[in-house]
Amino acid sequence: MSKPPARNGAPQRRPGEEDDICPVCKSSRYLNPNMRFLVNPECYHKMCESCVDRIFSQGPAPCPVAGCARTLRKQRFRRQTFEDLQIEREVDIRRRVAAIFNRRESEFQTLRDYNNYLEEVETLTFNLLYNIDVATTEEKLASYARQNAADIANNKIISAQESASTEAQIAAQKEQARLHREAARNEEDEERREKEEGRQEFINKIAASNEDPDKIAKVVLKKSTARRTAADKLRQQEAAKVDNASAPLFQIQGLKPVVRPEPQKAYDPFGDYSIKTQYYTLQTQYEHPWLENAKTDPKITAGGFDVGEYCARAMMEAFGGLGVFVEDEVARREEAAGADVGTTAAAMAAGDGKEVGGDVL
Amino acid sequence: MKFNIEDLPILFPYPRIYPEQYAYMCDLKRTLDAGGHCVLEMPSGTGKTVSLLSLIVAYQQYYPEHRKLIYCSRTMSEIEKALAELKALMKYRADQLGYEEDFRGLGLTSRKNLCLHPSVKREKSGSIVDARCRSLTAGFVKEKKERGEDVDLCIYHDNLDLLEPHNLVPPGVFTLDGLLKYGEKHKQCPYFSARRMMPFCNVIIYSYHYLLDPKIAERVSKELSKDCIVVFDEAHNIDNVCIESLSIDLTEDSLRKATRGANNLERKITEMRSSDAEKLQNEYAKLVEGLRDADEAREEDTFMANPALPDDLLQEAVPGNIRRAEHFVAFLKRFVEYLKTRMKVLHVISETPPSFLQHLKDLTFIEKKPLRFCAERLTSLVRTLELTNIEDYQPLQEVATFATLAATYDKGFLLILEPYESDTATVPNPILHFTCLDAAIAIKPVFDRFSSVIITSGTISPLEMYPKMLGFTTVVQESYSMTLARRSFLPMIVTRGSDQSAISSGFQIRNDPGVVRNYGSLLLEFSKITPDGIVVFFPSYLYMELIISTWQGMGTLDEIWKYKLILVETPDAQETSLALETYRTACCNGRGAILLCVARGKVSEGIDFDHHYGRTVLCMGVPFQYTESRILKARLEFLRETYRIRENDFLSFDAMRHAAQCLGRVLRGKDDYGIMVLADRRFQKKRSQLPKWINQALLESDTSLSTDMAVASAKKFLRTMAQPFSERDQAGVSTWDIKDLERHKEQKEEEKIRELRNGIDGGQMDVDEHTNGANGADEYGADDDIDAAMMDMDA
Repeated sequence: MSKPPARNGAPQRRPGEEDDICPVCKSSRYLNPNMRFLVNPECYHKMCESCVDRIFSQGPAPCPVAGCARTLRKQRFRRQTFEDLQIEREVDIRRRVAAIFNRRESEFQTLRDYNNYLEEVETLTFNLLYNIDVATTEEKLASYARQNAADIANNKIISAQESASTEAQIAAQKEQARLHREAARNEEDEERREKEEGRQEFINKIAASNEDPDKIAKVVLKKSTARRTAADKLRQQEAAKVDNASAPLFQIQGLKPVVRPEPQKAYDPFGDYSIKTQYYTLQTQYEHPWLENAKTDPKITAGGFDVGEYCARAMMEAFGGLGVFVEDEVARREEAAGADVGTTAAAMAAGDGKEVGGDVL
Repeated sequence: MKFNIEDLPILFPYPRIYPEQYAYMCDLKRTLDAGGHCVLEMPSGTGKTVSLLSLIVAYQQYYPEHRKLIYCSRTMSEIEKALAELKALMKYRADQLGYEEDFRGLGLTSRKNLCLHPSVKREKSGSIVDARCRSLTAGFVKEKKERGEDVDLCIYHDNLDLLEPHNLVPPGVFTLDGLLKYGEKHKQCPYFSARRMMPFCNVIIYSYHYLLDPKIAERVSKELSKDCIVVFDEAHNIDNVCIESLSIDLTEDSLRKATRGANNLERKITEMRSSDAEKLQNEYAKLVEGLRDADEAREEDTFMANPALPDDLLQEAVPGNIRRAEHFVAFLKRFVEYLKTRMKVLHVISETPPSFLQHLKDLTFIEKKPLRFCAERLTSLVRTLELTNIEDYQPLQEVATFATLAATYDKGFLLILEPYESDTATVPNPILHFTCLDAAIAIKPVFDRFSSVIITSGTISPLEMYPKMLGFTTVVQESYSMTLARRSFLPMIVTRGSDQSAISSGFQIRNDPGVVRNYGSLLLEFSKITPDGIVVFFPSYLYMELIISTWQGMGTLDEIWKYKLILVETPDAQETSLALETYRTACCNGRGAILLCVARGKVSEGIDFDHHYGRTVLCMGVPFQYTESRILKARLEFLRETYRIRENDFLSFDAMRHAAQCLGRVLRGKDDYGIMVLADRRFQKKRSQLPKWINQALLESDTSLSTDMAVASAKKFLRTMAQPFSERDQAGVSTWDIKDLERHKEQKEEEKIRELRNGIDGGQMDVDEHTNGANGADEYGADDDIDAAMMDMDA
């Protein structure tokens, strides 16, 4: 599929590249056919490799381009990926921003929030790109990174896993395609061979016997057709199997509300059962003349008798049976039991019926 | 002629009907009643269009649902022909019924063909006409005018607003020409009249693209209701049309232009920010809300529409990072720059969309989701900016469409980067092909949306291939034979030259001087005996050139020159049309001529050689595709993996449908006659793949002839054809009047009763017969020539 990298021995050149000139030393491609340009992400000024060697071998030095006094280091020079240096710079900035702002769609409750977040990030990137409020923007970036360090690290791992899994999937698909291809090729070879064999057999038969050649041809043809249909069937079955096997592992994507664990409740030994009274409220004071002295008489109080306690108990006893309808409860119980039994009985009857039917037949 | 099919009364505009037309109508009705799709093959020149139209119009008028008919054809001339047929039919109906039915039938074609504006219509290129028309008719231009700004408007378009919107043209059928005339007379724009009247028409006739190309389909055809009857005529190439409509090629030049377009957009946005920031803000607010433009419903002036996006996605809001206009332009620039970087690679790359997206994300941090919205976002932006010179943004639009498609479909598409034009080129000229491999993707919305889709053509064999490739199921699938009173065409397969050596355009022997000489002598012999015109088809331009130059050296051409004029088709359309005109003149004045053309060229597809324009057609070699093309290889692989169609089966099918198309060129009716010669050894084994009507006429004894035998039998055939032949001989056999039709119906009825009476025994026997027949067919096509097909290449 791929072409040999070099055709005429010399490295391939694009049409526009012949008149490239290094802006620093002014040497052209004509003089130095192997000239390569490098840029430093500090200021994105282009210069040729020999210039970089010459100027920066001794250690950090200012950029030789007039008006740019940034200090550059040799090790940070690299080849440019994009033709447009503006884009090159943009991508570098994006790389930095994306490493920090790496929240995922599934972290947001609504799509709108996610979109707002995306826009925010984009605006920050734009500020960095066009040098608007760089100081504040950098500050924002840094503070976000500080605050969400754990999340960032976490998301980084997730996205790394994801890309690894996609790659693995692509690789698996490729492998499968290759296998299919090979199988198809083998099949074709097989078929061709079979046909050749059939022809040979036919010729041999004609040579050996005195039968009508047409009849022999038919016999041979039938044999090969039968074989082929059998092979076809087998192939189809296999194909179906492969189809089932190769069903892609689906991924669930999209918005998902973050479920935070509810705060733990205090322990409740009664399991929601309240002892609060329903039909009456207990007063602290009841006016009962025959109890007046019981409150104060030390003969009574010394034994631990408490009037409040007594009142509470009296009230409870008075209202105790309210809301309880024994007949109803009994009736309900009987009813429920009846339904259960009825169902069971019906089930048994059905079972009997079957048996009876069996007997009849 | 008036008759009934079941309960449906049909008015047929001719006094006689062909038996196959009647059968065709019956099957059509069956399909419509059942509400499903069908594939029908009917011999060319037997009045397919008229039978189709008369049945469907009768169906529309008789049943209360009034299902609309959408008739799609391939070329302008075919559309015009169909419209004329329809017009005649409606006139006949009005005469017979005694009143005019409330009926509208309109055709739609490009603005270029329908424009009346005095300066715009003079433009040569279709895209320029489109762009200039938009700049005169767009909604915001009108707003500007109302605000008192000095802008040009199209008077023809504006006059439409004065009319009632549902009655722009009176009821009736308008041919394209008629519509132009009407428009000129009433000073109204024919294009927009037709477009706006579309929802009120009973019959719409237009080209495939209005339904299949998702970019156009959404705008033109989205209001059509579900119960429409959709017909694809001349549909033997429909899979290729589907694939083309979703494939995009990008070159370095188009990327450069796209960058320029993006820069222009950026400038416009800055301008607008300073002058009219409110509009941008409005757009932004709308996008935040996730609303699609409400006034989009009447978007005749939109720049482009979305290519085949799933509906749920369309409802979704645009992602936040391309919501602002500036952000979006930067996004586009980044994407284009990335593509440029990819183009610099000097070896062939073929990759699937997911792997492309992965690489894109690694390099430029462009996610899949915003990429998906690219096309829609661009449309919205262009509308907001009120751009008039839209043609400048065409390349950018292409890139955006590409982005959307690549991010939407994981399967069925492939990216192929070819850095060199040919294998021998040394200067890189990279092309990024984004090819659709699956024809079913483009046509799927059509099958999903419309309950009855009818696919029909003169040569659409083997029928079962199409449902397989396009992913649908059929209710009726039928191929009709041609009933003839005499044998009016003579198909022959010539396998050997006069020296008894095999002839073939197969790769191994095509340059063999013996083969070339044999082909030459075949042509010479036929030019001696054939009256008037001969059409010769070669598998490719390359082979044609080679063979002609060899003939020149051998002196064959000088010999032929004595009998016929020789004309050649070239890739250039104008040269070819000149050659065609000369050819016609030569045929008319009795000098006679030979037209040498290519099986996949223009001539083989759209031009009829009826009567004396074509008495013999010679197919020199099997017209296989160029199998070394990477796109074809990818498609073959895909077909095998997905639809289990084997490579050789597909190649052979494709070659044979083109061959059949070439053969069908000469016979355009029942009073026509012609000789069809298939000159290649390999045709002998592919015979079963020919359409039924050709295959039936091909006698067993004519399947392996040498040149001299073929000439002898052609001579005999021509002698019979020279005998007088009156119309009366045809009556009752190949043409029916109303009495014959009644008789046929009775017979059918009786047969049915007899069948019912015979009951189970008869059924049993039937089944046996069928299985026998199937076996026979199997044995026939079994030993196909595999290696020959694979080795056939054009280079």
